[in-house]
Amino acid sequence: MLNIQKFFGSFFQKRTALFLVAPAIGVWPLFASRVLSIAAALLLGGIVFALCGYDAARLASDVVSASFGNVFGLEDLGLIWSPMILTGLAAAVALRIGLWNIGGEGQFYAGAMAAAWVGLHVQAPGGVALLLMALAGFVAGAAWILVPALARAWLAVDEIITTLLLNFVAVLLVTYVCTGPMRDPANAVTAASAHIPYEIPPLLDELHWGFAVSVVLVACVALLFGRTVWGYEVRVAGANRHAAAYAGMRVRRRIMEVFLLSGGLAGLAGMLEVAGTVHRLEAGISNNFGYLGIMVAALAGASPLAVLPASLLLAVLLNAGIVLQSYGVSKYAVLALTGLVLLGAAVGERLAYYRLAPTLAKLR
Amino acid sequence: MIELLTGMVATALLAGGVLLLGALGEVIAERAGVFNLGVEGLMAIGGITGIIAVAHGAPALFGMLCAMLTGAAFGCVFAASVVLLRANQTLCGLALTVSGGGLAAAVGQSYSGHPAAAVFASVHIPILSALPLFGRAVFSQNPIVYVIWIVLPLALHALLFRTRWGISLRAVGEDPAAADASGVHVLRVQFAAVVAGAALAGAAGGFLTLGYITSWSDGITGGRGWIVIALVIFGGFKPLNIALGALLFGLITALGFVGQARDWPVPPAFLSMLPYLATIACMIVTPFLVRRKRSRFLAPAALGVPYFPEQR
Repeated sequence: MLNIQKFFGSFFQKRTALFLVAPAIGVWPLFASRVLSIAAALLLGGIVFALCGYDAARLASDVVSASFGNVFGLEDLGLIWSPMILTGLAAAVALRIGLWNIGGEGQFYAGAMAAAWVGLHVQAPGGVALLLMALAGFVAGAAWILVPALARAWLAVDEIITTLLLNFVAVLLVTYVCTGPMRDPANAVTAASAHIPYEIPPLLDELHWGFAVSVVLVACVALLFGRTVWGYEVRVAGANRHAAAYAGMRVRRRIMEVFLLSGGLAGLAGMLEVAGTVHRLEAGISNNFGYLGIMVAALAGASPLAVLPASLLLAVLLNAGIVLQSYGVSKYAVLALTGLVLLGAAVGERLAYYRLAPTLAKLR
Repeated sequence: MIELLTGMVATALLAGGVLLLGALGEVIAERAGVFNLGVEGLMAIGGITGIIAVAHGAPALFGMLCAMLTGAAFGCVFAASVVLLRANQTLCGLALTVSGGGLAAAVGQSYSGHPAAAVFASVHIPILSALPLFGRAVFSQNPIVYVIWIVLPLALHALLFRTRWGISLRAVGEDPAAADASGVHVLRVQFAAVVAGAALAGAAGGFLTLGYITSWSDGITGGRGWIVIALVIFGGFKPLNIALGALLFGLITALGFVGQARDWPVPPAFLSMLPYLATIACMIVTPFLVRRKRSRFLAPAALGVPYFPEQR
């Protein structure tokens, strides 16, 4: 019997014969493509900067020395690294079940707001108060994603748009709270709450224990997904929802659990930022951490452990934004650069599947 | 009360017009099976292009044309990534949103906060604008408004559902393999649809900064690109329904402004949340509508799935 697919396949090979698409690739080609494409995107960004009349090489060395040059730089890097570990982990957790949580920014704000409220209104010994704040942050973040999660699980409503739109609502809400109900009456200049009396103890000089907590949470989530039945079910549901349902897995319930965990982690990031770094609620407290978290997860390919290096890369890029400002370039230019890195990663991932035609023929 | 309503309609036509223009672009791309999540970035780029063009002495119409062309140029990059190379559409769309917004904010730094140098002037249509009730609100707009609300939806509807070209486009979005077998060049159609859609998204940004808000500031798009994507789903991927949806969203936005102007006892922040909350509410309601009307409002079957001719 004539195999139609093979027949047309051979026809196609005769026509092009230069590149073919491999059906599947291993982890290492994927990793190599990721590294190469990120390097290519950064190089392209550097070329654009050079064409605009800036000294790209000096800029790069400035960024590296500002980030890794001394202890202060490293600690500052750690301070912007740790929230991105958690927001990145939040997005990566959702990607595990094949869904996007684009609302990390909103959940971050919700968590920060709830934690600040608890910190200002609860009288308790330091440790207990911090635990309560963390709990409030986690619950608020999870609550912020509840409606999109329900809509996704039961009505198949696109979660990308619903989670994203809640970001704008959260920003408006926190701005309102900072200028209204929670505003510090002693401070007339900035839109911010009063100083919160409970602080996360420092790990080093400036870097607080929130960093260690973030790294430990990455390990916990990696174990949860890699070593438990629950994590296995989530992965199967992410790969093929119908197959998972057919095998008796409760897909909707897993979607809810994963989304609530995801929102909670982003909310916890907001709590750590309030209690460890900023010590009060501010209108612009998030610094785009939620949005950058999506990129972290995309670069990490939904793997919890890969979140660590991916978020480090973006933390360095965020530092580059601060260096750029000293050059008189808008800090937003670095957002354009991160977008370029993401585009490069997406294209590189696909290019990794392409093989020169003769190679694939040999494999067959 | 009448004053209130006519004021709302006038604002709704502008605010909703921005959304409609972007949504008509998005529906072209989505009907061809490509999910462009980068509308927000394209709108930001279009917006700043328009502002820069008029700052250099161009009239507003030329500024909007520049916005359109820049949108198309960035659409080419996106189309090359997702159509030709078949990269992940969600990732590339997010990348376009982020890099577009960042680029626009970086380039627009020195234009921030200044009023646009040239804007679309409103034209009073002689007899119609003297009509009672909504005459003044509807017929004293700038001419682009009529193009957006009447000409474009009808033209796109005719193009999609009454021409050979339209049936090819829709076939590509429903079943690219079948379209390919019947002689349609799938990748070429998708590429063209994405670029055309991106051009309209860029034009929407130009209309936002030259016709509606008439100035530039960071984050001026404020999630409109995402509301646009929701609007396409809400409108059942049909240009005329999308126009009705855009009117609804425009009215909701206008309601927030009216509330602020009239000192309603609601904090302005909550009124500003209205468009976002309304969009989410609409998205949750849509599945119920779809279930009742069966498949007529469903998304194109191959939406978001890259097409590999060799795996046919």
